[in-house]
Amino acid sequence: MLALKLLWRNWKAGEVKILASALILAVAVVSCISIFTDRLEQALISQSHTFLGADRVIRSSQPIDQTWRLLAKEHKIQTANTTQFASMVFSAEKMHLAAVKAVSPGYPLLGNLTISQQAFATDPAVIKIAQSVPAAGEIWADSRLLPLLGIELGGSLSVGEKELTLTRVIIDEPDRGSNFSAYGARVMMNESDLASTKVIQPGSRIRYQWLLAGDESQLSVFLAQLKPLMTPHETIVDVESAQQGLAKTLDTARKFLLLSAMIGVLLAGVAIAIAARRFAQRHVDQVALLKSLGASSTKVRQIYAIQLIALGAIAAVIGLLIGQALQMGIASAVASVFPVALQAASYTSYLPGIITGVVCLVCFVAPPLWHLPVIPPIKILRRELEVGGVAFYWQASLGLLAMIVLVAIFSNDVWLSASIISAMLVLMVLTAVFAVLLLRLGSRVGRKVGSVWRLALASLNRNAQQSVIQMMVFGLAIMLLLTLTSLRTTLIEDWQLQLPAETPNHFFLNVSPAEKDSVLKLMQQQGVESQHLFPMVRARLTHINGIEPTDEVKQRAEMLRREANLSWAETLGDDNRIIDGKWWDEWQEPGVYGISVEAQAAEELGVSLGDDLTFSVGGLMLDARVASIRTLKWDSMNPNFYFLMSPGALENFSPTYLTSVYLDPENKLFINTLLEQFPTIVVIEMDRVIAQIQSIVSQVSAGIELMLWLVLLGGFMVMWAAVSATMDERKQETALLRALGSSRNRLLGSLWIEFSLLGGLAGVMAVCGAEVLLLSIQYWVLDMPLQVHFGLWLWGTLGAMLLIGGLGVISCRRVITTSPGLILREVG
Amino acid sequence: MLNAQSLTKKVTTAAGELVILDEVSLQLEAGDSLAITGASGSGKSTLLGILAGLDEPSSGRISLNQHELTELGEEGRAKVRANHVGFVFQSFQLLPGLTALENVMMPLELHGIDNAKGKAEFFLTRVGLNERLNHYPQQLSGGEQQRVAIARAFASEPDILFADEPTGNLDSATGAHVIELLFELNREQGTTLILVTHEQRLAEHCQKRINLEGGKVVERHCKSSTTACEAI
Repeated sequence: MLALKLLWRNWKAGEVKILASALILAVAVVSCISIFTDRLEQALISQSHTFLGADRVIRSSQPIDQTWRLLAKEHKIQTANTTQFASMVFSAEKMHLAAVKAVSPGYPLLGNLTISQQAFATDPAVIKIAQSVPAAGEIWADSRLLPLLGIELGGSLSVGEKELTLTRVIIDEPDRGSNFSAYGARVMMNESDLASTKVIQPGSRIRYQWLLAGDESQLSVFLAQLKPLMTPHETIVDVESAQQGLAKTLDTARKFLLLSAMIGVLLAGVAIAIAARRFAQRHVDQVALLKSLGASSTKVRQIYAIQLIALGAIAAVIGLLIGQALQMGIASAVASVFPVALQAASYTSYLPGIITGVVCLVCFVAPPLWHLPVIPPIKILRRELEVGGVAFYWQASLGLLAMIVLVAIFSNDVWLSASIISAMLVLMVLTAVFAVLLLRLGSRVGRKVGSVWRLALASLNRNAQQSVIQMMVFGLAIMLLLTLTSLRTTLIEDWQLQLPAETPNHFFLNVSPAEKDSVLKLMQQQGVESQHLFPMVRARLTHINGIEPTDEVKQRAEMLRREANLSWAETLGDDNRIIDGKWWDEWQEPGVYGISVEAQAAEELGVSLGDDLTFSVGGLMLDARVASIRTLKWDSMNPNFYFLMSPGALENFSPTYLTSVYLDPENKLFINTLLEQFPTIVVIEMDRVIAQIQSIVSQVSAGIELMLWLVLLGGFMVMWAAVSATMDERKQETALLRALGSSRNRLLGSLWIEFSLLGGLAGVMAVCGAEVLLLSIQYWVLDMPLQVHFGLWLWGTLGAMLLIGGLGVISCRRVITTSPGLILREVG
Repeated sequence: MLNAQSLTKKVTTAAGELVILDEVSLQLEAGDSLAITGASGSGKSTLLGILAGLDEPSSGRISLNQHELTELGEEGRAKVRANHVGFVFQSFQLLPGLTALENVMMPLELHGIDNAKGKAEFFLTRVGLNERLNHYPQQLSGGEQQRVAIARAFASEPDILFADEPTGNLDSATGAHVIELLFELNREQGTTLILVTHEQRLAEHCQKRINLEGGKVVERHCKSSTTACEAI
């Protein structure tokens, strides 16, 4: 096969190296990211599912209907039950209000329940994954219950009327985090012992959870059939609703990875287009020769088509292999800290890489080569003959179309695609205009400056068209790289800000006014730093503007169906922001108490400024007027309230207090000390959930760092391709100048100036583009606060100057160090 | 072998119509050698391109080895070039990425000729480059590069060989050596040879010669007799 032989010879001659490398890089970047994100997503979904202990949970205040269980069986859905309630548990001498959980065999469906025979065990050797739930007659409990009740393993513990034997301590349970009402220490028992405790009575506050796991499509069908049967008592809990903060973090991470893939592909696409253009230019003579030797247009087309297809296939295979290897590298780096094993990638995750290869080949490589077969054979004798190709605007349109297709494949997000593509277009047009103006200015200045500068400016002007194109390409590559780098920094900082190292991880509730000072004192004694103690009164919203809410509103607003916590505050918390109305210091309405409502709650309730809300507090009525609407950050882990009253409003309703504290693992026994002195205080432990989120954030950040390096490689490739594209002319010019007696240093200086100027100007444009792009991505895509990147302006421009300057000089180094005669002979 | 009648080539430029060739006619028998001479811009290379089927005349007829070139399309002319024509160019036109051997093999492979490698090695040895088979063009001197080009031209055993200023890029000693080789092979293979040159020395090697001026044949010259010259 002549075509393949020619391809091999072209490869050896270095003619296709940039083209092939760019193609390989495109396929590798996309494959790596699509395979890795697929695995990551699968792992994170299953990881997130372990927060639920299942794929879905039906939560209800009533026992689950028996017919539903049959339906689940029909759909081959795995199920398990948990029944949770707060109840006193007794040892021989002491008692504790524990969070009781009765579980059925099979619990948890996903994730691991870890237990030990040693209280407070941290040594992995003594921590085991529970293979079954507690047997009938047995009970497992949190370590801290043992000193609290003064019992050991093997001792007896009573729940209601049932006496059970304590056989294990619970180290961790997967769905602990999803249950914010887990007051008190956890005890876990077998579901079959539940009836004999006689704790569950009509009117008891019980949370029934029906855990479901199975194939996603079967689950969807099953849930679709189940939904019409559900009453307002039942709700479906999925990963997102269970872990909103985490889901948002992961979604942002996924978007970032896809964005990196997209930017990687765009960069590789540009590199491919430039390399293909150069390949075509260098092959004009080869085609003319082939035609003079009798090759027909059809034959030439065939030869190049086979070369392209072979090149594409080889690049796709190598790209896929590199992509696979890279993602394995990333996965193994991440695996050491990842809580669950990454699963094998699905076959579909290999497709984007292959599609990318094909799209790049068809849209970026084929157009510049399209005219090769119709080059007239007389070109071999008349080298000055102009060879027309596919019109530039067609090539550009096709390239643009390819970019849109690729961006659409990766982002699935109209705003993201639109903002990236339009930023690219605007940048390219502006750069072109800017570059032309500057080159004109440069040619005037060039006449008045020193010879090295004159040489550099003359070179830029002589190849004005090339210089403008290079500036556009450099600008584009730098813009994309700057965007990605800054976005990564912002993103990781934003996550770390969300959950800083000492985020409060325990909530203390139900502190009575009499206990308030003593609790604070105890905290001080034990070195536990407390946030503010917030007063809290449980109340039910009964009327809005004197009218009882309709069923429709009740259905929409959960807080009308349950008691809400009212609080008051003199000053507004750091993580609260008034978006409408005024805070107390500016709000004056004599004779009426004011209330500040959280924005989302206000929307659900349909209330706005000036509306009157009536609450029932233990049967006593309390009226308040909406004075402001607030947004707040729930993920700050500080106590926050939907309703904040003006000071004094709750004075007559004996409040309890609430606070959040950070306890490190060594200090955990403080809870026991606290509960021993104040047994009625309720403790919510969030430490494991927060630790888990922090660890996932740090792993995903590590993954993002690695991805960034890959994309940077793409950026360098574009610049390399762009510099190499003009190398033939440059070689000839430089060799000629050397032959005419220019010193090496002078040429080197001129090259530095020329490329640094190109880089600096491209850098300025890139920084402008990157800033606009970053702001629009922050605003529309990532839903983050807008932030101007001042550092970018300085190091973006300087970095571009140094980088392009360096790249240019390195690429041309050979021309300067080799004898001019040899170079002139090479370029003919 | 070659019969060209009233070849005219006109091109339209911004300044108006430009006549590059004006009613040029010539005839050659198999094994003949013809030198086309003339000053720069006299239309030599244009005539060579048209005679070889690389370009089309604006009017006139050419028959090459029984093929009416002027009646064929580009695909048909490509076939004729493939089967009957060889070229040697002033700037050698070797592909820089290919070794000497690969350059010579290329036309053979293009036409699917068996044992391309053996044949290429034979011709490279014949032009005295058996030690340089795996050298790249930039590693060869100008004379050596032109010898590779000659080996490439003769390797496909053409009936007619067109040479465009074959010694134009060479010094006189190297040029003389290349001329010698070209005519030696021409004789051995019985190839018809048409070359464009402005070098008197080279033109004198040919049996026939025409001189162009402003696209017109202003002089015809033959080594053997004047009567035969009328038939050029």
